[in-house]
Amino acid sequence: MSALLEVEGVSKSFGGNHVLSDVSFSLADGTLALVGPNGAGKTTLLNIVAGQLSPDRGAVRFRGARIDRLPPARIVHRGLVKTYQVVRPLRSFTVAQHIELFSRVRGSVDAERILALTGLGPVRDRRAGELSFGDLKRLELAKALAVNPELLLLDEPIGGLSRDEARRILGSLEELKRDGMRMIVVEHRLLETLSFVDQVVALDQGRTIFSGSPARFFADPAVRAAYLGGGHAPRG
Amino acid sequence: MASDPLPSPSLRRLVRAAGHTLRSRLYLATLAVMAAFALLADLLGSPYFTLSLILASLYIALAVAWDFSSGLTGYINFGLPFFFGLGAFSTGYLVYHGLHSIPALLALDFGVGLVGGGLFALPTLRLRGPFFTFLSLLLPLIGTDIVLAFWTTFGLPTIGYYGLPFLAPTLEDSLLLLSGANALFLTGFYLLRESRFGLVLRGIRDDEEVLESQGISSFPYKVAAFTLSNGVVGFAGGAYALTTTFAGVDAFGFLFLLFPILIAILGGTGEILGAALAGYAVILLSQYLYLTMGSLTLLLFAGAAILLVLFLPRGLLGLLRKEAA
Ligand SMILES: Nc1ncnc2c1ncn2[C@@H]1O[C@H](COP(=O)(O)OP(=O)(O)OP(=O)(O)O)[C@@H](O)[C@H]1O
Ligand SMILES: [Mg+2]
Repeated sequence: MSALLEVEGVSKSFGGNHVLSDVSFSLADGTLALVGPNGAGKTTLLNIVAGQLSPDRGAVRFRGARIDRLPPARIVHRGLVKTYQVVRPLRSFTVAQHIELFSRVRGSVDAERILALTGLGPVRDRRAGELSFGDLKRLELAKALAVNPELLLLDEPIGGLSRDEARRILGSLEELKRDGMRMIVVEHRLLETLSFVDQVVALDQGRTIFSGSPARFFADPAVRAAYLGGGHAPRG
Repeated sequence: MASDPLPSPSLRRLVRAAGHTLRSRLYLATLAVMAAFALLADLLGSPYFTLSLILASLYIALAVAWDFSSGLTGYINFGLPFFFGLGAFSTGYLVYHGLHSIPALLALDFGVGLVGGGLFALPTLRLRGPFFTFLSLLLPLIGTDIVLAFWTTFGLPTIGYYGLPFLAPTLEDSLLLLSGANALFLTGFYLLRESRFGLVLRGIRDDEEVLESQGISSFPYKVAAFTLSNGVVGFAGGAYALTTTFAGVDAFGFLFLLFPILIAILGGTGEILGAALAGYAVILLSQYLYLTMGSLTLLLFAGAAILLVLFLPRGLLGLLRKEAA
């Protein structure tokens, strides 16, 4: 079986700044954690996969078809959607309206199920402008789920949250995974996410320094040097 | 299921949703106010009052149309007088070429507004908001120049079309006709606002990029909204020409930009219904003030517009909603 998502030799620079250099990985199933220190290029890579940036070199394939020249909306129609690292709600919309608006992008979704899974039921009729930070993080997830995706790209879904708040979202992600959702999760707080991660890709200064299972990840000397040992202890 | 009168479940759901929307109290109250004014004009029989209400109805059509496209999406269109003038001039042109049926004229003006609006929307709505606004601002100026050039080129003696037929036999009938048309426009725009189409337009105002990154291409929605809205503006321009029985460059005037936007903001941007209610208040007040203050009235309203934007940006309905929340 061919992979769901393939990233092949992707490079990107802004001006003279090489942000990604020849990055490759693929995901067939399950959850992939994309890790690396601040500025490693994680968000840039997700933006390229989601079509919000185009790569200077390399290719991105989804279900075997090139998507790296498609506009973002078309990529979503294929079944791939990304959340924002810095939450980006529609301020005048209620939680329920967010789901309603996007629920017809790729056919039917069960709004009640999304509200239950993200725990947003109690604030369904509040406008985004009135929500707490924790609720906004959950809304970021709910909004992405509303398009009924096959692959979710999550950019720091628990970034900035307290341990308890983070655990609520991680609970939702674990449930999604049990339902068969494929995910790529960018996260600094690796230890907290490891329970449902099957594969780790580590970036450092735009290069892939590791790709493999979580168990091998912690044993890898390059990782220890660049990521764990080099003053970049997991935040949070 | 088999005995259901409506063929498809999605159509049934649509009809039920529309029924629900139209039972809104504010919507029914707005229609009642429109009917009450038309009735009152009939009772009073004062030509100045009726004419003021006709003018109010024309401005309400413009304000509601502007509010639907610009108010909901946040793409500010200053080109209103251009499409208004286009409607007025089409009427004059068509009458001079032998068309005298009022319904046909109004329908064609609507069509001219649609086509003109669509032609303007297609290239410009690919631009970011401020650039769109800039280009729309140029339209009324270009319109005036084209018309002047047209007249000088063809060597016509007067600038404008004179002696056009009246909209209806009496002023009261004209008002009734325009109120009916407004009820139709209002209902249509309000239904659309409450539908998923309206939700997309509001989403464009909030964060267009989020829509794109979540699979909704905003462009066709914007084009549809601006095309439709300018159809109504063309209609209003035609009705204006058939009220004054004249189509001249004044139809491209600044007033047809200032008042509709003022009314839409006062009613609460993107609220649709608020614009209809605010329209009566603003135009009747301006007509009254005009009797006493003359041309100072315009200065007063320009000042009011500035204060409104500064201190009540969400308009009267926005204020009410905040109180209720
Ligand atoms: N649009 C841009 N223009 C110029 N430079 C950019 C742009 N976007 C990102 N960069 C640079 O690219 C590098 C990688 O940024 P990126 O946001 O991808 O990192 P990240 O791994 O997501 O970091 P963080 O953990 O802080 O979110 C940084 O040095 C950043 O300054
Ligand atoms: Mg980042």
